[in-house]
Amino acid sequence: MKEADKILGKVVTGFAAICLTGALLTLPADAAPDIPQGFDSDGEKIFNRFDETPLAAMTGTDGKRTLDVYYELRQYPGSPPRVPHDVPLSFSGDTMKCLSCHGRGGYDVNQNAYAPVTPHPEYESCAQCHVPRRTEELFVETEWQSIEPPRLGRSEMGGSPPPIPHSLQIREDCIACHTGPAAVAEIRVEHGSRGNCRQCHVPMIATEPRKEFTRNN
Amino acid sequence: MKLNRRSFIKSAAAGSAIAAAGSIFPGISFAGWQKQEDASGNITWQKAPCRFCGTGCGVLVGMSGDRAVAVKGDPNCSVNKGLCCVKGFHSVQALYGKDRLKKAQVRKNGKMVEVPIAEALDVIADKIKETITKHGKDSVAMYGSGQWTIPDGYVASKLFKGCLGTNNVEANARLCMASAVTGFMTSFGIDEPMGCYEDIEHADVFVTWGNNMAEMHPVLFSRMLASRKRKRDVTIIDFATRTTRSSQASDKSILFKPNTDLAVANAICYEIIRNDWVNWDFVKKHTSFHKGKTNIGYGTEDHFSFKDKPEDISFEEYKTFLQDYTPEKVERISGVSAKDIKYLASLYGDPSKKVTSFWCMGMNQHVRGTWINNLVYNIHLLTGKISTPGNSPFSLTGQPSACGTVREVGTLTHKLPYGVVMKEGARKKAEKIWGLPAGSIDPKPTYHTVEMFRALDRGDIRFMWIQVTNPMITMPNLNRYRDGALKEDRFVVVSDVYPTPTTDVADVILPATMWVEQEGMYGNSERRTQHFDRIVPGPGDTMSDTWQIIEVARRLGFEKQFPWGEDEYIGKIWEEYRQFHDNPKHNMAPYEVLKARSGVQWPFVNGKETRWRFNTKHDPACKKGTDFDFYGKKDGKAWIWARPYEPAAESPDQEYNFWLNTGRVIEHWHTGSMTRRVPVLHNAVPEAYVELNPEDASDLGVVNGEKVKIISRRGSVTMKASINGRGVPPRGMVFVPFFDESYKINEVTLDAFCPISKQPDYKKCAVRLEKA
Repeated sequence: MKEADKILGKVVTGFAAICLTGALLTLPADAAPDIPQGFDSDGEKIFNRFDETPLAAMTGTDGKRTLDVYYELRQYPGSPPRVPHDVPLSFSGDTMKCLSCHGRGGYDVNQNAYAPVTPHPEYESCAQCHVPRRTEELFVETEWQSIEPPRLGRSEMGGSPPPIPHSLQIREDCIACHTGPAAVAEIRVEHGSRGNCRQCHVPMIATEPRKEFTRNN
Repeated sequence: MKLNRRSFIKSAAAGSAIAAAGSIFPGISFAGWQKQEDASGNITWQKAPCRFCGTGCGVLVGMSGDRAVAVKGDPNCSVNKGLCCVKGFHSVQALYGKDRLKKAQVRKNGKMVEVPIAEALDVIADKIKETITKHGKDSVAMYGSGQWTIPDGYVASKLFKGCLGTNNVEANARLCMASAVTGFMTSFGIDEPMGCYEDIEHADVFVTWGNNMAEMHPVLFSRMLASRKRKRDVTIIDFATRTTRSSQASDKSILFKPNTDLAVANAICYEIIRNDWVNWDFVKKHTSFHKGKTNIGYGTEDHFSFKDKPEDISFEEYKTFLQDYTPEKVERISGVSAKDIKYLASLYGDPSKKVTSFWCMGMNQHVRGTWINNLVYNIHLLTGKISTPGNSPFSLTGQPSACGTVREVGTLTHKLPYGVVMKEGARKKAEKIWGLPAGSIDPKPTYHTVEMFRALDRGDIRFMWIQVTNPMITMPNLNRYRDGALKEDRFVVVSDVYPTPTTDVADVILPATMWVEQEGMYGNSERRTQHFDRIVPGPGDTMSDTWQIIEVARRLGFEKQFPWGEDEYIGKIWEEYRQFHDNPKHNMAPYEVLKARSGVQWPFVNGKETRWRFNTKHDPACKKGTDFDFYGKKDGKAWIWARPYEPAAESPDQEYNFWLNTGRVIEHWHTGSMTRRVPVLHNAVPEAYVELNPEDASDLGVVNGEKVKIISRRGSVTMKASINGRGVPPRGMVFVPFFDESYKINEVTLDAFCPISKQPDYKKCAVRLEKA
């Protein structure tokens, strides 16, 4: 057995114990005729994920993933995170290997951690956007800056549901990131049993391109 | 001495990089980026095409204050529909490398000195005048780029070809797309793909010819995978010389020996005819058969010249020509089993399947690049699988505006924005639009890119202005051309955004604005013109490449040809340029339409984009009353060519017993001058390496990460071995990505080229290996 396979073997075995049953999440193929796919920011995704995810998998946290850890992997709010764990060099194109952990989540023995669930399992060429780090050195120092990550808990009134502070593009599936044991502790919801997230949480308009409202006189 | 200056700069750069690394990672940082002070936290978004490859993804650049702080895929852009790749998502970081060139520099007494940019522009204008007086108009040259914006290339052509009267204008797209152009011209008489990316959703079969799309055109590759997932019965065949990510994701990977794609393509046609899978109605109405010269050489000698002599042949003669390419005979040449050849032929031949072929550098950087382009068109023409949704021979480009600026504006020695310099009508049209006296444009082409750098070495060219490209990494047989550029009495001007090995040989460096720091347009692989505004202010004295040329042109006395103000010049240039394409075969969208939309396809006729050219249902330029009209050729037909298999210029032998193949990785774009300054990308692939087959590595006694010396007749490079890494070459081949200026693999490559397109073959030369 090659070294790479051994590592992978362990990961997969670790998963088998706790992995959730069922096939990977797939989007339904049959939309009503003439209705474009993915309307309402792919709102359908939330309902599909909700249907297919057992309640047990939406609760609990190991508390290890925090916002600090989350942003450490990113270059600006919304950038694709880099891969923080070892990836065998030959681990190049077989996307099912990524999705075997990140498709539905689960516990990984090697890392002693739960795998975060991707909000976009329909994109299979994972290494197109997510790359590991082979060195920490830079080629040339950078003057890159970006904005502060969005503040949490921006309810309009005490206790009212906070708005969605990020773009929904490629991150339409609330349940993937905001529930379950791998969810970032600060943004995990306590009410995973409610499946219609955008009933209460609405996108905050300042994070999207927008036109100023004018009244028609 | 220039050489001393160069090595000094290099060592200084290395020192500062190490210092920088120490200060950036004092420990684990709290977050992945430095926080902007006094920012509202709100981002405003503006559209642009991505800065990198020829796919032409639409991006939204997120602005906070006067800084670009984020990127999203543009959901309104039909190319990528909101998705990007890792380069696109981090593209704005390429603006902010600490060593951005912000001041002009001029060499004084052997040392580069910072000067006001106006002074540098004076020096350039004076030097052009002086060189022309001493050595004639053809001693000055402009070498540009498929990353030039359309206005950049347009004003360069207008100044050099029109005002100065020299055809010494070339661009690096000669190194990447010239064979695609000559392929289109010889088969169809008009350049650029007939299809569009929508073919991806319509096709049942994809064959990628020598094309690792998973890394090189990742967003289109994802579109292919998504279509396969949705439709289930989609087949992707990877036909290549090396096993890659694309092979892994494909349904079948077929490997062939270098250069033998010519034989396999002919064998596929042989099988199509033998099984009578020919679409006779299409072939009789819309094609004609031809042959050209054979044994056409490789161009490795100075002053090489070649002119093809097309002759008409009959279908029977074509069929006889194919007798040399039975699957069994071709199996012996190519290493592809007769069974696999027949399988490929059956996919193309099945009338119920729509087939799209994709290719890029594998077929273009090829000593018979024009021929292999012709041969793949043959397959699509014999089966009539062309110019209809999903049936598409699709030549992809590598640079964001290789199509827009180089092929459409015509920044190659023989080209004008409309037509070629050899044609009187084309010269007259240009002279009229440019307000120049008749006879201003020289009817004789001068040097193609390789010969231009040879002319610089010989001394026929004394002044060269290089913009938006890095030839001191990318020229094949690099040692000769770098030594040539460094000779006394050669004057090199380089406009760029970062220090590179090319600015190291410069006598004047102009600091350029980059991408969205200026207004401009790119043109992508599917005939889509993409406008972007000036979104971010450029740092220091940076100036757009267009404006640099305008400033120099005015200093040379051409105010009349370059009259525009700085707040309006892009729009004015566009509307002037558009006059060249004022016909239904090539009409371009007006400036206001380009500004409003996320890219517009040409021909843009009566307010409508043309998705599929030559198809009467979709293309208003077609003659009415016929289903297809290949109007590029006088006979209204597409040409099927009898082109034989011929070997590479230099194949492995007893002494140099390995093929050397070169290319890219997804993280880095071309010579890495931008992507290496993006932390995520550099951290993922910090240096180049040589991929070896595991058995070859074991014979050599090398394990992963050990050093290997790669030696050719021209030079050598020593670098780390990569075994079972990103890609795996077959036995007898090594592969090296060319992005890393510390390992200049082009000192090893050969400057052989396709005699028709003059595009060098970076994929094939002979090397030997030593454990270092």
